[in-house]
Amino acid sequence: MFRALLITGLLAVSTPALAQMNPDAPKHGSAHMGDHAGHDHKANPHMGHDMGEIESALKLSDQPELAAALAAGGEPVVAKVLGAVCDFCAKAMNKTFGKRDDVAAVYVDLDAKTLNLVMKPGATMSDKALRKAVKKSGYKVDTIARGTGTLTQADMLTP
Amino acid sequence: MLRIALITAALFAFTSDAFARPVSYTGGWTLIEDTDRQSTSALVHYSPSQEYSVGLKADWDRNSDILFTGVQGTWLAKRWFGEEHQANLYFWGAAGLAEGIDSNKGGDEVGTQIGVMADWETRQLFVSYRASARDYGSLDKSAMQAARVGFAPYAGDTGELHTWFMLEVDNRPDADEPIGVTPLLRLFYGSALFEAGWSLTDDQPLLNFQYRF
Repeated sequence: MFRALLITGLLAVSTPALAQMNPDAPKHGSAHMGDHAGHDHKANPHMGHDMGEIESALKLSDQPELAAALAAGGEPVVAKVLGAVCDFCAKAMNKTFGKRDDVAAVYVDLDAKTLNLVMKPGATMSDKALRKAVKKSGYKVDTIARGTGTLTQADMLTP
Repeated sequence: MLRIALITAALFAFTSDAFARPVSYTGGWTLIEDTDRQSTSALVHYSPSQEYSVGLKADWDRNSDILFTGVQGTWLAKRWFGEEHQANLYFWGAAGLAEGIDSNKGGDEVGTQIGVMADWETRQLFVSYRASARDYGSLDKSAMQAARVGFAPYAGDTGELHTWFMLEVDNRPDADEPIGVTPLLRLFYGSALFEAGWSLTDDQPLLNFQYRF
């Protein structure tokens, strides 16, 4: 039976439906905004970018706790996350980021497939640190966007 | 009889689901209870990393009157990520004490269990497979396998109630009815997962619960 289980496991690994799921390497920087020390700029075409000049495809979710933290002066960070399909995924990232001292608000948007953070005023988080924390949650970051480009018109009108 | 009642109460108090994710985020605790047509089990586990968990397990085989208690380790061997999906491959093993209870006077034996689980899911489709074997010495040596398919009529967003309709087919070669068919309903809300089903094969309930801290 043990041999049968081993064979079953190997078959599962080699199943084409599973094998083709391995995604491409992370596509970093396409929506990256903001000018912060410690970011991973390897593939970022926007190094030295100006805040607010480049519109991001990733938008901060419309959530009261995010808006409140934004109003307090925190930097918005939005990360596209791979593999987030259920509330357990959201819970994992909420827990991981919720206990960090540098994060003022966190929200995982399953519809948008994004992790939404607003940092505490003056705090920043490098791409490397963000990717590592998402990995500890059990998931993977695709792209990261920061700054005013992640804000909707409604966000910017919020006092 | 009182002992059985206490064990039952304890098992139902600690709810979990073998088909949900048996490894949590780094530092996460999870309570799991599974009840199927043959047994009721409980697992409390902690995940030191996102790749494995360790926990305490109790497994009551109601058909054979065997109670297993021990420690379980689960390894997330591989997780495949996609924009719309996630797939996982887990291996697990448990070791502890197996004892004959109630009508089973077989005594105590060192018991071991091993298993493999694989799943693929989107927000509205779910497929999984699991197989396990146990060696309880003179008490029992057996194996089982099960597969499940499911769909969600809508894609629930964060914090909403997620509803799934699923069908599980299991194969237990040593059982009176080797093939079991169990339709079930899965409800997912926040940190809690609840499943309720009914075995069409031998009129036994399926009741699973999981809570992630």
